[in-house]
Amino acid sequence: MGFPTAPMVTIAFKDLAKSNAASRGMPLERICFTPHPVWGKTDAEMYAYLEGNDPVSGKPLMKEVIDALTQPLTAEEQKTGSVEISTGPATYTDTAENLQQYYLDNGMTDFMQIVIPTEEKLAEMLKGTSHKPDEVVGRMSPARGSYPEWSFTVRQVAINAVMAGAKPEYLPTILAIAETGLTSLSSSTNSFATAAVINGPIRDKLNMNYGIGAMGPFAQSNAAIGRAWTMLSRNLSNSGVPGQTYLGTLGNGVNYNNLILPENEKDSPWTPLHVQKGFKAEENVVSVFVGFSISQGQGGIGLGVKPVPQYHEAIAYNCIPFGPLFGALIVCDPLVAQGLVELGYKTKEQLADWLQKNSLISAKNARSTLFANRWVPDATTPDDAMIPYYQRADSYNFVVIGGQTNPYHMVGNMSYRVSISIDKWA
Amino acid sequence: MKMNRRKLLSVLGMSPALLAGPGAGGKEKTASGPTKLTGVNPRGIAPAVQLVPMAPRLASLDGKTVFLVSDGFPGADHFLAQMGAWFKKNMPSVTTEYRLKAGQFADDDPKLNAEIKAKGNAVIMAIGH
Repeated sequence: MGFPTAPMVTIAFKDLAKSNAASRGMPLERICFTPHPVWGKTDAEMYAYLEGNDPVSGKPLMKEVIDALTQPLTAEEQKTGSVEISTGPATYTDTAENLQQYYLDNGMTDFMQIVIPTEEKLAEMLKGTSHKPDEVVGRMSPARGSYPEWSFTVRQVAINAVMAGAKPEYLPTILAIAETGLTSLSSSTNSFATAAVINGPIRDKLNMNYGIGAMGPFAQSNAAIGRAWTMLSRNLSNSGVPGQTYLGTLGNGVNYNNLILPENEKDSPWTPLHVQKGFKAEENVVSVFVGFSISQGQGGIGLGVKPVPQYHEAIAYNCIPFGPLFGALIVCDPLVAQGLVELGYKTKEQLADWLQKNSLISAKNARSTLFANRWVPDATTPDDAMIPYYQRADSYNFVVIGGQTNPYHMVGNMSYRVSISIDKWA
Repeated sequence: MKMNRRKLLSVLGMSPALLAGPGAGGKEKTASGPTKLTGVNPRGIAPAVQLVPMAPRLASLDGKTVFLVSDGFPGADHFLAQMGAWFKKNMPSVTTEYRLKAGQFADDDPKLNAEIKAKGNAVIMAIGH
Protein backbone atom coordinates (compact mmCIF):
# COMPACT_ATOMS: atom_id res chain seq x y z
CA MET A 1 0.00 0.00 0.00
CA GLY A 2 3.00 2.26 0.42
CA PHE A 3 2.54 3.32 4.03
CA PRO A 4 3.57 1.63 7.27
CA THR A 5 0.93 -0.83 8.38
CA ALA A 6 0.47 -2.88 11.50
CA PRO A 7 -1.90 -5.79 10.80
CA MET A 8 -3.70 -7.10 13.88
CA VAL A 9 -5.08 -10.63 14.02
CA THR A 10 -6.45 -12.80 16.81
CA ILE A 11 -4.24 -15.68 17.90
CA ALA A 12 -6.65 -18.25 16.41
CA PHE A 13 -5.41 -17.18 12.98
CA LYS A 14 -1.68 -17.09 13.75
CA ASP A 15 -0.64 -19.75 11.22
CA LEU A 16 -3.03 -18.44 8.61
CA ALA A 17 -1.80 -14.87 8.97
CA LYS A 18 1.85 -15.80 8.79
CA SER A 19 1.52 -18.18 5.85
CA ASN A 20 -0.72 -15.72 4.03
CA ALA A 21 1.77 -12.89 4.53
CA ALA A 22 4.58 -15.11 3.27
CA SER A 23 2.66 -16.23 0.21
CA ARG A 24 1.96 -12.60 -0.62
CA GLY A 25 5.64 -11.73 -0.47
CA MET A 26 6.06 -10.45 3.08
CA PRO A 27 7.30 -13.41 5.12
CA LEU A 28 8.47 -11.07 7.90
CA GLU A 29 5.38 -8.87 8.04
CA ARG A 30 5.03 -7.37 11.51
CA ILE A 31 1.77 -8.98 12.55
CA CYS A 32 0.47 -8.22 16.05
CA PHE A 33 -1.78 -10.71 17.80
CA THR A 34 -4.58 -10.36 20.34
CA PRO A 35 -6.31 -13.07 22.33
CA HIS A 36 -9.25 -14.73 20.60
CA PRO A 37 -12.04 -13.89 20.00
CA VAL A 38 -12.77 -10.20 19.63
CA TRP A 39 -16.30 -10.70 18.36
CA GLY A 40 -18.77 -10.70 21.25
CA LYS A 41 -16.40 -9.16 23.78
CA THR A 42 -17.34 -6.05 25.75
CA ASP A 43 -15.55 -2.76 25.24
CA ALA A 44 -13.82 -3.26 28.58
CA GLU A 45 -12.62 -6.72 27.60
CA MET A 46 -11.27 -5.44 24.30
CA TYR A 47 -9.51 -2.55 26.02
CA ALA A 48 -7.96 -5.09 28.38
CA TYR A 49 -6.62 -6.94 25.34
CA LEU A 50 -4.86 -3.73 24.30
CA GLU A 51 -3.41 -3.21 27.74
CA GLY A 52 -2.21 -6.81 27.88
CA ASN A 53 0.43 -8.78 26.04
CA ASP A 54 0.63 -10.12 22.53
CA PRO A 55 -0.05 -13.84 23.16
CA VAL A 56 2.51 -14.86 20.54
CA SER A 57 5.48 -12.72 21.52
CA GLY A 58 4.55 -12.23 25.17
CA LYS A 59 5.38 -8.53 24.85
CA PRO A 60 3.01 -5.61 25.62
CA LEU A 61 0.60 -5.50 22.71
CA MET A 62 0.44 -1.76 22.09
CA LYS A 63 4.23 -1.48 22.28
CA GLU A 64 4.35 -4.11 19.56
CA VAL A 65 1.88 -2.17 17.46
CA ILE A 66 3.84 1.06 17.82
CA ASP A 67 7.14 -0.72 17.17
CA ALA A 68 5.64 -2.31 14.04
CA LEU A 69 5.07 1.18 12.68
CA THR A 70 8.24 2.86 13.89
CA GLN A 71 11.15 0.43 14.19
CA PRO A 72 13.51 0.72 11.20
CA LEU A 73 13.30 -2.01 8.62
CA THR A 74 15.87 -4.77 8.50
CA ALA A 75 17.59 -5.77 5.27
CA GLU A 76 15.47 -8.92 5.14
CA GLU A 77 12.28 -6.89 5.35
CA GLN A 78 13.32 -4.89 2.31
CA LYS A 79 14.22 -7.82 0.09
CA THR A 80 12.84 -8.15 -3.41
CA GLY A 81 12.98 -11.00 -5.91
CA SER A 82 11.15 -14.19 -6.73
CA VAL A 83 11.01 -17.46 -4.76
CA GLU A 84 9.91 -20.66 -6.51
CA ILE A 85 7.58 -22.96 -4.55
CA SER A 86 8.02 -26.72 -4.94
CA THR A 87 5.04 -29.06 -4.72
CA GLY A 88 7.20 -32.17 -4.36
CA PRO A 89 8.75 -34.80 -6.62
CA ALA A 90 7.05 -35.83 -9.84
CA THR A 91 6.67 -39.47 -8.79
CA TYR A 92 6.84 -41.70 -5.73
CA THR A 93 7.81 -45.38 -5.86
CA ASP A 94 6.95 -47.87 -3.13
CA THR A 95 4.63 -50.72 -2.30
CA ALA A 96 0.92 -50.08 -2.73
CA GLU A 97 0.46 -50.10 1.03
CA ASN A 98 3.27 -47.62 1.61
CA LEU A 99 2.06 -45.40 -1.20
CA GLN A 100 -1.39 -45.25 0.36
CA GLN A 101 0.23 -44.07 3.54
CA TYR A 102 2.51 -41.66 1.70
CA TYR A 103 -0.35 -39.90 -0.08
CA LEU A 104 -2.32 -39.77 3.16
CA ASP A 105 0.56 -38.55 5.32
CA ASN A 106 1.38 -35.82 2.83
CA GLY A 107 -2.10 -34.38 2.81
CA MET A 108 -3.04 -35.49 -0.68
CA THR A 109 -6.19 -37.48 0.20
CA ASP A 110 -9.51 -37.17 1.99
CA PHE A 111 -8.15 -39.61 4.60
CA MET A 112 -9.74 -42.57 2.90
CA GLN A 113 -8.15 -45.14 0.62
CA ILE A 114 -7.41 -43.85 -2.85
CA VAL A 115 -6.72 -45.43 -6.21
CA ILE A 116 -2.95 -45.09 -6.62
CA PRO A 117 -2.48 -42.80 -9.64
CA THR A 118 0.03 -44.74 -11.74
CA GLU A 119 0.98 -43.59 -15.24
CA GLU A 120 -1.07 -46.49 -16.64
CA LYS A 121 -4.24 -45.47 -14.81
CA LEU A 122 -3.61 -41.85 -15.70
CA ALA A 123 -3.26 -42.71 -19.39
CA GLU A 124 -6.56 -44.57 -19.24
CA MET A 125 -8.26 -41.64 -17.52
CA LEU A 126 -6.96 -39.19 -20.11
CA LYS A 127 -8.84 -41.12 -22.79
CA GLY A 128 -11.94 -39.45 -21.34
CA THR A 129 -11.07 -36.10 -22.92
CA SER A 130 -9.78 -34.91 -26.28
CA HIS A 131 -7.82 -32.14 -24.61
CA LYS A 132 -4.06 -32.28 -24.32
CA PRO A 133 -2.67 -33.25 -20.92
CA ASP A 134 -0.65 -30.07 -20.55
CA GLU A 135 -3.54 -27.71 -21.32
CA VAL A 136 -4.19 -25.34 -18.44
CA VAL A 137 -7.72 -25.84 -17.08
CA GLY A 138 -7.95 -22.96 -14.62
CA ARG A 139 -6.95 -21.48 -11.31
CA MET A 140 -8.14 -22.10 -7.78
CA SER A 141 -7.39 -20.95 -4.25
CA PRO A 142 -8.74 -21.80 -0.78
CA ALA A 143 -10.61 -18.46 -0.85
CA ARG A 144 -10.52 -16.22 -3.88
CA GLY A 145 -8.57 -13.06 -3.20
CA SER A 146 -7.25 -14.27 0.13
CA TYR A 147 -4.67 -16.79 -1.02
CA PRO A 148 -2.47 -17.17 -4.09
CA GLU A 149 -4.22 -18.98 -6.90
CA TRP A 150 -2.64 -22.21 -8.09
CA SER A 151 -3.04 -23.21 -11.71
CA PHE A 152 -3.51 -26.74 -12.99
CA THR A 153 -3.58 -28.79 -16.17
CA VAL A 154 -5.81 -31.48 -17.66
CA ARG A 155 -3.25 -34.06 -16.56
CA GLN A 156 -3.33 -32.86 -12.95
CA VAL A 157 -7.13 -32.91 -12.84
CA ALA A 158 -7.07 -36.42 -14.32
CA ILE A 159 -4.64 -37.61 -11.63
CA ASN A 160 -7.08 -36.50 -8.96
CA ALA A 161 -9.95 -38.13 -10.84
CA VAL A 162 -8.04 -41.43 -10.75
CA MET A 163 -7.43 -41.06 -7.02
CA ALA A 164 -11.16 -40.49 -6.42
CA GLY A 165 -12.15 -43.67 -8.23
CA ALA A 166 -13.62 -41.99 -11.29
CA LYS A 167 -14.08 -43.59 -14.70
CA PRO A 168 -12.65 -41.92 -17.83
CA GLU A 169 -16.14 -40.93 -18.99
CA TYR A 170 -16.56 -38.84 -15.83
CA LEU A 171 -13.51 -36.74 -16.67
CA PRO A 172 -15.21 -33.98 -18.73
CA THR A 173 -17.61 -33.31 -15.85
CA ILE A 174 -14.73 -33.23 -13.37
CA LEU A 175 -12.77 -30.90 -15.66
CA ALA A 176 -15.79 -28.58 -15.86
CA ILE A 177 -16.04 -28.53 -12.06
CA ALA A 178 -12.32 -27.78 -11.86
CA GLU A 179 -12.68 -24.98 -14.38
CA THR A 180 -15.19 -23.21 -12.12
CA GLY A 181 -12.24 -22.43 -9.85
CA LEU A 182 -14.46 -23.00 -6.82
CA THR A 183 -12.76 -25.02 -4.11
CA SER A 184 -14.91 -27.45 -2.18
CA LEU A 185 -12.74 -26.78 0.88
CA SER A 186 -13.27 -23.08 1.48
CA SER A 187 -10.89 -21.64 4.05
CA SER A 188 -13.73 -19.87 5.85
CA THR A 189 -14.28 -20.36 9.58
CA ASN A 190 -17.92 -21.08 8.65
CA SER A 191 -17.26 -24.63 7.38
CA PHE A 192 -18.90 -24.07 4.02
CA ALA A 193 -20.24 -26.74 1.69
CA THR A 194 -20.43 -26.80 -2.10
CA ALA A 195 -22.96 -28.17 -4.56
CA ALA A 196 -22.74 -29.04 -8.25
CA VAL A 197 -25.94 -29.23 -10.26
CA ILE A 198 -25.53 -31.41 -13.35
CA ASN A 199 -27.84 -30.87 -16.31
CA GLY A 200 -28.14 -32.37 -19.77
CA PRO A 201 -28.12 -35.83 -21.35
CA ILE A 202 -24.80 -36.71 -19.74
CA ARG A 203 -26.69 -37.52 -16.54
CA ASP A 204 -28.06 -40.64 -18.21
CA LYS A 205 -24.87 -41.40 -20.11
CA LEU A 206 -23.00 -41.55 -16.79
CA ASN A 207 -25.83 -43.41 -15.03
CA MET A 208 -26.15 -40.60 -12.55
CA ASN A 209 -28.81 -41.06 -9.92
CA TYR A 210 -31.40 -38.29 -9.89
CA GLY A 211 -34.22 -40.50 -8.60
CA ILE A 212 -34.63 -42.26 -5.27
CA GLY A 213 -31.84 -41.31 -2.87
CA ALA A 214 -30.25 -39.00 -5.43
CA MET A 215 -28.14 -37.20 -2.86
CA GLY A 216 -27.06 -40.39 -1.11
CA PRO A 217 -24.34 -42.96 -1.84
CA PHE A 218 -26.20 -44.86 -4.54
CA ALA A 219 -24.37 -44.25 -7.80
CA GLN A 220 -20.70 -44.48 -8.72
CA SER A 221 -20.80 -41.41 -10.93
CA ASN A 222 -22.44 -39.19 -8.30
CA ALA A 223 -20.01 -40.45 -5.68
CA ALA A 224 -16.77 -40.33 -7.64
CA ILE A 225 -17.42 -36.98 -9.30
CA GLY A 226 -18.20 -35.48 -5.91
CA ARG A 227 -15.16 -37.02 -4.30
CA ALA A 228 -12.93 -35.85 -7.13
CA TRP A 229 -14.00 -32.25 -6.44
CA THR A 230 -12.63 -32.44 -2.93
CA MET A 231 -9.53 -34.35 -4.02
CA LEU A 232 -8.66 -31.77 -6.67
CA SER A 233 -9.50 -28.89 -4.33
CA ARG A 234 -6.99 -30.27 -1.88
CA ASN A 235 -4.24 -30.91 -4.39
CA LEU A 236 -4.70 -28.29 -7.07
CA SER A 237 -5.22 -25.24 -4.85
CA ASN A 238 -3.66 -26.20 -1.51
CA SER A 239 -7.08 -25.95 0.14
CA GLY A 240 -7.77 -27.96 3.26
CA VAL A 241 -4.69 -27.48 5.42
CA PRO A 242 -6.18 -27.00 8.91
CA GLY A 243 -4.97 -23.80 10.55
CA GLN A 244 -3.48 -22.44 7.34
CA THR A 245 -5.82 -22.80 4.43
CA TYR A 246 -8.79 -24.34 6.24
CA LEU A 247 -10.31 -22.60 9.28
CA GLY A 248 -13.82 -24.11 9.44
CA THR A 249 -14.38 -24.37 13.15
CA LEU A 250 -16.80 -27.32 13.05
CA GLY A 251 -15.93 -28.78 9.67
CA ASN A 252 -18.54 -30.18 7.30
CA GLY A 253 -19.20 -33.83 6.42
CA VAL A 254 -20.55 -32.74 3.05
CA ASN A 255 -16.97 -31.93 2.08
CA TYR A 256 -16.20 -35.64 1.63
CA ASN A 257 -17.98 -35.78 -1.70
CA ASN A 258 -20.07 -32.60 -1.83
CA LEU A 259 -23.67 -32.15 -2.93
CA ILE A 260 -23.94 -33.61 -6.41
CA LEU A 261 -27.34 -32.71 -7.83
CA PRO A 262 -28.16 -34.17 -11.25
CA GLU A 263 -31.49 -32.49 -11.95
CA ASN A 264 -34.46 -34.80 -12.56
CA GLU A 265 -35.35 -33.07 -15.80
CA LYS A 266 -37.82 -35.66 -17.08
CA ASP A 267 -40.05 -35.43 -14.01
CA SER A 268 -39.70 -31.71 -13.45
CA PRO A 269 -42.47 -29.40 -14.63
CA TRP A 270 -40.02 -26.50 -14.75
CA THR A 271 -37.18 -25.30 -16.95
CA PRO A 272 -33.89 -26.99 -16.02
CA LEU A 273 -31.35 -24.87 -14.19
CA HIS A 274 -28.84 -24.78 -17.04
CA VAL A 275 -31.44 -23.42 -19.43
CA GLN A 276 -32.25 -20.70 -16.90
CA LYS A 277 -28.56 -19.84 -16.98
CA GLY A 278 -28.53 -19.43 -20.75
CA PHE A 279 -27.58 -22.87 -22.07
CA LYS A 280 -29.55 -25.06 -24.47
CA ALA A 281 -31.49 -28.01 -23.09
CA GLU A 282 -29.35 -30.53 -24.99
CA GLU A 283 -26.11 -29.11 -23.61
CA ASN A 284 -24.33 -30.72 -20.68
CA VAL A 285 -23.56 -28.23 -17.95
CA VAL A 286 -22.37 -28.07 -14.37
CA SER A 287 -23.53 -25.20 -12.13
CA VAL A 288 -21.83 -24.70 -8.78
CA PHE A 289 -23.07 -23.29 -5.48
CA VAL A 290 -21.38 -22.48 -2.17
CA GLY A 291 -22.77 -21.75 1.27
CA PHE A 292 -23.86 -23.30 4.54
CA SER A 293 -25.08 -26.61 3.08
CA ILE A 294 -28.71 -27.70 2.99
CA SER A 295 -31.15 -29.08 5.50
CA GLN A 296 -34.46 -30.88 5.17
CA GLY A 297 -37.53 -28.73 5.11
CA GLN A 298 -40.29 -31.09 6.13
CA GLY A 299 -42.64 -30.05 8.89
CA GLY A 300 -42.56 -26.38 8.06
CA ILE A 301 -45.46 -23.97 8.24
CA GLY A 302 -47.90 -24.47 5.41
CA LEU A 303 -47.45 -28.16 4.79
CA GLY A 304 -50.33 -29.14 7.07
CA VAL A 305 -52.84 -26.87 5.36
CA LYS A 306 -55.83 -28.80 3.98
CA PRO A 307 -56.56 -29.85 1.39
CA VAL A 308 -53.48 -28.62 -0.46
CA PRO A 309 -50.02 -28.22 1.10
CA GLN A 310 -48.82 -24.66 0.71
CA TYR A 311 -45.29 -25.48 -0.41
CA HIS A 312 -44.36 -21.89 -1.16
CA GLU A 313 -45.15 -20.86 2.41
CA ALA A 314 -43.19 -23.82 3.75
CA ILE A 315 -40.15 -22.86 1.69
CA ALA A 316 -40.37 -19.24 2.84
CA TYR A 317 -40.65 -20.39 6.45
CA ASN A 318 -37.71 -22.75 6.18
CA CYS A 319 -35.53 -19.97 4.79
CA ILE A 320 -36.05 -17.76 7.86
CA PRO A 321 -32.83 -18.84 9.60
CA PHE A 322 -30.80 -17.85 6.56
CA GLY A 323 -28.15 -15.19 6.89
CA PRO A 324 -27.52 -12.57 4.23
CA LEU A 325 -24.11 -13.89 3.25
CA PHE A 326 -25.56 -16.31 0.70
CA GLY A 327 -28.71 -16.78 -1.39
CA ALA A 328 -31.11 -19.70 -1.32
CA LEU A 329 -30.79 -23.06 -3.07
CA ILE A 330 -34.10 -24.91 -2.90
CA VAL A 331 -34.00 -28.62 -3.74
CA CYS A 332 -37.46 -30.04 -4.51
CA ASP A 333 -38.72 -33.52 -5.16
CA PRO A 334 -40.75 -33.57 -8.41
CA LEU A 335 -43.91 -34.00 -6.30
CA VAL A 336 -43.24 -30.64 -4.64
CA ALA A 337 -42.48 -28.96 -7.95
CA GLN A 338 -45.71 -30.32 -9.43
CA GLY A 339 -47.61 -29.17 -6.34
CA LEU A 340 -46.17 -25.68 -6.74
CA VAL A 341 -47.27 -25.60 -10.36
CA GLU A 342 -50.80 -26.46 -9.23
CA LEU A 343 -50.58 -23.57 -6.75
CA GLY A 344 -49.90 -21.23 -9.65
CA TYR A 345 -46.12 -21.16 -9.83
CA LYS A 346 -45.76 -22.23 -13.41
CA THR A 347 -42.09 -21.31 -13.52
CA LYS A 348 -39.17 -21.20 -11.14
CA GLU A 349 -38.99 -17.46 -11.78
CA GLN A 350 -42.56 -16.91 -10.57
CA LEU A 351 -41.81 -18.74 -7.35
CA ALA A 352 -38.57 -16.80 -6.88
CA ASP A 353 -40.44 -13.55 -7.38
CA TRP A 354 -43.06 -14.48 -4.76
CA LEU A 355 -40.40 -15.54 -2.27
CA GLN A 356 -38.40 -12.35 -2.77
CA LYS A 357 -41.46 -10.21 -2.11
CA ASN A 358 -42.82 -12.26 0.78
CA SER A 359 -39.76 -13.44 2.69
CA LEU A 360 -39.25 -10.46 4.95
CA ILE A 361 -37.19 -9.55 7.99
CA SER A 362 -37.43 -6.54 10.28
CA ALA A 363 -34.71 -3.97 9.87
CA LYS A 364 -33.87 -4.46 13.54
CA ASN A 365 -33.30 -8.17 13.07
CA ALA A 366 -31.44 -7.56 9.84
CA ARG A 367 -29.04 -5.27 11.65
CA SER A 368 -28.34 -7.94 14.22
CA THR A 369 -27.22 -10.50 11.67
CA LEU A 370 -23.67 -11.33 10.84
CA PHE A 371 -22.18 -9.03 8.21
CA ALA A 372 -25.20 -6.73 8.58
CA ASN A 373 -22.91 -3.82 7.79
CA ARG A 374 -22.62 -5.20 4.28
CA TRP A 375 -26.26 -5.34 3.31
CA VAL A 376 -28.74 -3.32 5.40
CA PRO A 377 -29.95 -0.67 2.92
CA ASP A 378 -29.34 2.45 5.00
CA ALA A 379 -29.20 3.61 8.58
CA THR A 380 -32.39 5.67 8.28
CA THR A 381 -34.59 2.61 7.78
CA PRO A 382 -36.82 2.30 10.89
CA ASP A 383 -36.27 -0.72 13.10
CA ASP A 384 -39.78 -2.03 12.55
CA ALA A 385 -39.66 -1.71 8.76
CA MET A 386 -39.99 -5.09 7.06
CA ILE A 387 -37.44 -5.56 4.30
CA PRO A 388 -36.81 -8.49 1.93
CA TYR A 389 -34.23 -11.05 2.92
CA TYR A 390 -32.81 -10.72 -0.55
CA GLN A 391 -32.77 -7.70 -2.79
CA ARG A 392 -33.05 -9.76 -5.96
CA ALA A 393 -35.37 -12.60 -6.94
CA ASP A 394 -32.51 -14.45 -8.60
CA SER A 395 -31.01 -14.99 -5.17
CA TYR A 396 -33.42 -17.95 -5.13
CA ASN A 397 -32.45 -20.97 -7.25
CA PHE A 398 -34.37 -24.22 -7.58
CA VAL A 399 -33.31 -27.74 -8.52
CA VAL A 400 -35.74 -30.61 -8.97
CA ILE A 401 -34.33 -33.94 -7.83
CA GLY A 402 -35.58 -37.10 -6.19
CA GLY A 403 -37.63 -40.23 -6.62
CA GLN A 404 -41.19 -39.07 -5.76
CA THR A 405 -41.57 -41.33 -2.74
CA ASN A 406 -42.51 -38.31 -0.58
CA PRO A 407 -43.15 -34.62 -1.32
CA TYR A 408 -39.99 -33.38 0.34
CA HIS A 409 -37.90 -30.33 -0.19
CA MET A 410 -34.63 -29.10 1.26
CA VAL A 411 -33.41 -25.56 1.66
CA GLY A 412 -29.82 -24.39 1.54
CA ASN A 413 -28.36 -21.02 2.40
CA MET A 414 -26.16 -21.27 -0.69
CA SER A 415 -25.32 -18.97 -3.57
CA TYR A 416 -25.04 -19.68 -7.25
CA ARG A 417 -21.58 -19.02 -8.63
CA VAL A 418 -21.16 -20.07 -12.25
CA SER A 419 -22.20 -22.58 -14.92
CA ILE A 420 -19.61 -24.30 -17.12
CA SER A 421 -20.07 -26.44 -20.23
CA ILE A 422 -19.15 -30.07 -19.77
CA ASP A 423 -19.22 -30.65 -23.53
CA LYS A 424 -16.23 -28.43 -24.13
CA TRP A 425 -14.13 -30.84 -22.08
CA ALA A 426 -15.24 -34.01 -23.92
CA MET B 1 21.04 -93.15 -12.98
CA LYS B 2 22.03 -90.09 -11.29
CA MET B 3 18.97 -88.07 -10.61
CA ASN B 4 19.13 -84.49 -9.61
CA ARG B 5 16.30 -82.79 -7.85
CA ARG B 6 15.03 -81.16 -11.04
CA LYS B 7 14.55 -84.50 -12.71
CA LEU B 8 13.01 -85.91 -9.56
CA LEU B 9 10.37 -83.23 -9.54
CA SER B 10 9.61 -83.87 -13.18
CA VAL B 11 9.17 -87.53 -12.50
CA LEU B 12 6.85 -86.75 -9.68
CA GLY B 13 4.82 -84.53 -11.98
CA MET B 14 5.78 -81.38 -10.22
CA SER B 15 7.17 -78.21 -11.65
CA PRO B 16 10.89 -77.78 -11.36
CA ALA B 17 10.16 -74.15 -10.74
CA LEU B 18 9.42 -75.02 -7.15
CA LEU B 19 13.16 -75.26 -6.66
CA ALA B 20 13.34 -71.54 -6.98
CA GLY B 21 11.27 -71.15 -3.83
CA PRO B 22 8.24 -68.96 -3.17
CA GLY B 23 7.54 -66.41 -5.81
CA ALA B 24 9.42 -68.11 -8.62
CA GLY B 25 7.50 -67.99 -11.84
CA GLY B 26 5.36 -65.05 -10.55
CA LYS B 27 6.06 -61.44 -9.86
CA GLU B 28 9.44 -60.69 -8.45
CA LYS B 29 9.42 -61.01 -4.72
CA THR B 30 11.79 -62.32 -2.01
CA ALA B 31 15.08 -60.58 -2.66
CA SER B 32 13.57 -57.39 -3.96
CA GLY B 33 10.52 -57.53 -1.68
CA PRO B 34 6.90 -56.95 -2.68
CA THR B 35 5.95 -55.42 -6.00
CA LYS B 36 6.41 -51.69 -6.14
CA LEU B 37 4.34 -49.12 -7.92
CA THR B 38 5.14 -45.64 -9.09
CA GLY B 39 2.49 -43.05 -8.31
CA VAL B 40 2.44 -39.57 -9.80
CA ASN B 41 2.23 -36.25 -8.00
CA PRO B 42 -1.37 -34.96 -7.93
CA ARG B 43 -0.52 -31.39 -7.00
CA GLY B 44 -1.11 -28.28 -9.05
CA ILE B 45 1.26 -25.49 -9.90
CA ALA B 46 2.01 -23.07 -7.08
CA PRO B 47 2.88 -19.56 -8.22
CA ALA B 48 6.28 -18.18 -7.36
CA VAL B 49 6.30 -15.76 -4.46
CA GLN B 50 7.27 -12.23 -5.42
CA LEU B 51 8.94 -10.64 -2.40
CA VAL B 52 7.50 -7.23 -1.56
CA PRO B 53 9.63 -4.78 0.42
CA MET B 54 7.84 -3.29 3.41
CA ALA B 55 7.09 0.43 3.39
CA PRO B 56 9.56 2.64 5.29
CA ARG B 57 8.67 3.10 8.94
CA LEU B 58 8.03 6.36 10.78
CA ALA B 59 10.54 7.81 13.26
CA SER B 60 7.70 8.08 15.77
CA LEU B 61 3.93 8.43 15.90
CA ASP B 62 4.00 11.82 17.63
CA GLY B 63 1.75 14.25 15.81
CA LYS B 64 0.89 11.67 13.17
CA THR B 65 -2.46 10.48 11.83
CA VAL B 66 -3.09 6.76 12.08
CA PHE B 67 -5.99 5.23 10.13
CA LEU B 68 -7.73 2.42 11.99
CA VAL B 69 -9.11 0.23 9.22
CA SER B 70 -11.68 -2.51 9.73
CA ASP B 71 -11.60 -5.46 7.37
CA GLY B 72 -15.32 -5.91 8.00
CA PHE B 73 -15.26 -8.91 10.29
CA PRO B 74 -17.71 -8.77 13.20
CA GLY B 75 -16.32 -6.91 16.17
CA ALA B 76 -13.55 -5.12 14.31
CA ASP B 77 -15.39 -1.79 14.54
CA HIS B 78 -15.76 -2.06 18.31
CA PHE B 79 -12.20 -3.22 18.72
CA LEU B 80 -10.82 -0.31 16.73
CA ALA B 81 -12.98 2.11 18.72
CA GLN B 82 -11.14 0.87 21.79
CA MET B 83 -7.87 1.29 19.95
CA GLY B 84 -8.81 4.92 19.31
CA ALA B 85 -9.64 5.35 22.98
CA TRP B 86 -6.27 3.88 23.93
CA PHE B 87 -4.39 6.37 21.77
CA LYS B 88 -6.45 9.27 23.12
CA LYS B 89 -5.55 8.30 26.67
CA ASN B 90 -1.95 7.18 26.22
CA MET B 91 -0.67 9.03 23.14
CA PRO B 92 -2.90 12.11 22.74
CA SER B 93 -0.68 13.63 20.05
CA VAL B 94 -1.76 10.85 17.71
CA THR B 95 -4.87 11.47 15.63
CA THR B 96 -6.88 8.39 14.72
CA GLU B 97 -9.39 8.00 11.90
CA TYR B 98 -11.69 4.97 11.69
CA ARG B 99 -12.67 3.54 8.31
CA LEU B 100 -14.47 0.41 7.12
CA LYS B 101 -12.66 -0.98 4.10
CA ALA B 102 -14.92 -1.46 1.10
CA GLY B 103 -15.56 -4.86 -0.44
CA GLN B 104 -14.92 -8.27 1.01
CA PHE B 105 -12.25 -8.61 3.66
CA ALA B 106 -9.45 -9.45 1.23
CA ASP B 107 -10.42 -6.94 -1.44
CA ASP B 108 -8.27 -3.92 -2.14
CA ASP B 109 -9.88 -0.51 -1.58
CA PRO B 110 -8.07 1.96 -3.88
CA LYS B 111 -10.26 4.89 -2.81
CA LEU B 112 -9.39 4.37 0.85
CA ASN B 113 -5.73 3.82 -0.01
CA ALA B 114 -5.69 7.18 -1.79
CA GLU B 115 -7.32 8.90 1.17
CA ILE B 116 -4.79 7.41 3.59
CA LYS B 117 -1.93 8.42 1.32
CA ALA B 118 -3.25 11.99 1.23
CA LYS B 119 -4.24 12.44 4.86
CA GLY B 120 -2.55 9.76 6.92
CA ASN B 121 0.83 8.48 7.99
CA ALA B 122 0.20 4.89 9.03
CA VAL B 123 -2.43 2.16 9.24
CA ILE B 124 -3.54 -0.31 11.84
CA MET B 125 -5.78 -2.94 10.21
CA ALA B 126 -7.90 -5.36 12.21
CA ILE B 127 -8.89 -8.09 12.87
CA GLY B 128 -10.98 -11.18 11.97
CA HIS B 129 -13.34 -12.46 14.65
